[in-house]
Amino acid sequence: MISRRALELATAILTGSFGVTVVVSSLDNGIGWSSAGVEAGTFPFLTGIIIVLGSLYNLARGALPAATLANVPVAITPVELRRLAGLFVPAAIFVAAIPLAGMYVASSLYVFTVLAIPRHQSVPRALAMAAATALALYVVFERMFQVSLPHGALAAALGF
Amino acid sequence: MENLSELWHGFTIAVTVPHLVLMVVGVLLGILVGVLPGLGAPNGVSLLLPLTFGMQPVSAIILLSSMYWGALFGGSVTSILFNIPGEPSSVATTFDGYPMARDGRPTTALATAFGSAAFGALIGVILITFLASWVAQVALAFGPAEYFAVYFLAFASFVGMGGAAPIKTIVALAIGFAIAAIGIDTVSGSVRLTMGIDELVKGVNFVVAVMGLFGIGELLVAVEEEFHARAVSSKIDWREVFRAVGRLPRHGVALLRSAAIGCWMGITPGGPTAASFMSYGIARRFSRRGRYFGTGEVEGIISPETADHAAGTSALLPMLSLGIPGSATAAVMMGGLMIWGLNPGPMLFVDQKDFVWGLIASMYVGNIVAVALVLLTVPVFAALMRIPFVVIAPLIVIICVVGAYSVSNSYLDVVMMLGFGIVGYLFKKLFYPLAPLVLAIVIGDKAEDAFRQSMLMSKGSLGIFFANKLVTCLIVAGIALLLLPLALQLARIWRKPASPATETTAHEKVII
Repeated sequence: MISRRALELATAILTGSFGVTVVVSSLDNGIGWSSAGVEAGTFPFLTGIIIVLGSLYNLARGALPAATLANVPVAITPVELRRLAGLFVPAAIFVAAIPLAGMYVASSLYVFTVLAIPRHQSVPRALAMAAATALALYVVFERMFQVSLPHGALAAALGF
Repeated sequence: MENLSELWHGFTIAVTVPHLVLMVVGVLLGILVGVLPGLGAPNGVSLLLPLTFGMQPVSAIILLSSMYWGALFGGSVTSILFNIPGEPSSVATTFDGYPMARDGRPTTALATAFGSAAFGALIGVILITFLASWVAQVALAFGPAEYFAVYFLAFASFVGMGGAAPIKTIVALAIGFAIAAIGIDTVSGSVRLTMGIDELVKGVNFVVAVMGLFGIGELLVAVEEEFHARAVSSKIDWREVFRAVGRLPRHGVALLRSAAIGCWMGITPGGPTAASFMSYGIARRFSRRGRYFGTGEVEGIISPETADHAAGTSALLPMLSLGIPGSATAAVMMGGLMIWGLNPGPMLFVDQKDFVWGLIASMYVGNIVAVALVLLTVPVFAALMRIPFVVIAPLIVIICVVGAYSVSNSYLDVVMMLGFGIVGYLFKKLFYPLAPLVLAIVIGDKAEDAFRQSMLMSKGSLGIFFANKLVTCLIVAGIALLLLPLALQLARIWRKPASPATETTAHEKVII
């Protein structure tokens, strides 16, 4: 179970650290005024500062026992977390598999896995859908719009 | 009158067979993304974007804008029939649309929604027809300082009127600016914020951000609650359609008021979502039957729908004439304009007359096409909702992955898209607004350039922003909008000392 407070704090820390990264990185480009006008790092530097300040405010608001947060103590229940993971984890594995397996193989494996393994669909139907996905991608992108999708290291090794 | 002859010329461009076909295709695709949860107008339009690179700009914009109209209509279909808003901007339509449909009057609810939506869109287009070229003419005289002031006003109005927590809006905006700054700086040519990753030199494409934020993010929010699409009957009784539309003029006041709210929120970038909520809230307060709202009131459908479409349409006005999009979808379209080699802003009205007036004329035709198609296809798309979510979700993930990849054939984009998905989920969950983030990514560079150019002109003095009346007014209005939430907060404390801000949770729902 994840509380609303924990989620608020985590997000504020996430945005805040992005802000810090922006501030630090923009210092390399120089901030302030030079003979060529406003230096390249100035604008990012200012936005970084705003992100950091805003995140600190959100962090403080999240940490304080404010009435608004007490109204929704639970942001994500265990059941919801399981559903979230059920969608996101396979998607992340799918993306990770693209460089090796290529878009076509990875996407049809992905479709087959998420449909057949939790038994949402029967195996033959899942297989058919997986094949249809790859075929549709190929027809629409490679043929109709001539956008080449990654074929993957495996296909390259096999000589495609 | 010159506008009318230009408009006539526009019709000769828009009403040709290929363009009508594009409109039909665009509207149907739009209804599709509008109906499917997890796919909305912003990422629907950005998905189509890579496919338009080879087209004529005017054909491309007709396709994309038709998709936008379709998505706006499609979102209302699911709101009314399933109580599931297909688009954030049609959430307010569920309040009265679904109860009416459940009571056995789905046709009345749908026809009322579409009729008032078409009215809202019509007002929006008329506004564009007569106002856009005038605004563009004024803007032709703008220097960098004026431009920066207009950008500032646009961003400030998100903070002041967007409806989200102001500090969260500011953080979202600033993150957008920082993302826009990644890559090569257009003024000095130096490389910024790449953190040593070579591939980031080209910058972060807004399409990648939109796919993740709106596509994956929305999907993650949708998967949390397992909804069962239990439809009320989706059969259309054609005689009732005409009767319901015929009854609309009786609610003339509500129609006009909602259209006005919508246009205002569309031009000042408040966006369709905020517009529909605001219109619904105001209608409930001022209608004589306000206390029946929520049980299937006609005006409870008219108000959000009219405002939603008026805002969606008029959001294109500042995009065309100033180069400042009024909604997230308009921001994506503006990104498209830049990719097609057009320069959004007042010069469009001088250099690209065919494009501008072709688009404006297509908005009249496209909305008619959209109303007709959406009525004809309601049963088809209602049937689509019965496909289980577990089947649709992986398909949407694949669409987003392929979409992110096809922007510039980069695998890093796909990984970033997934990262934006997590950010989108967190932001949605915690009511950080997404529209300002996307807007800042698209026009952050331009705002920064305008600022730096004005600084060059004034040799580093901020006085240039108070150099003449126009700039001063814009800047002062922007500062006022920025301070508006603070002033309201102070006023609340003044009136009721020591009462905790309990209304924020209700307030939080009103976000993009």
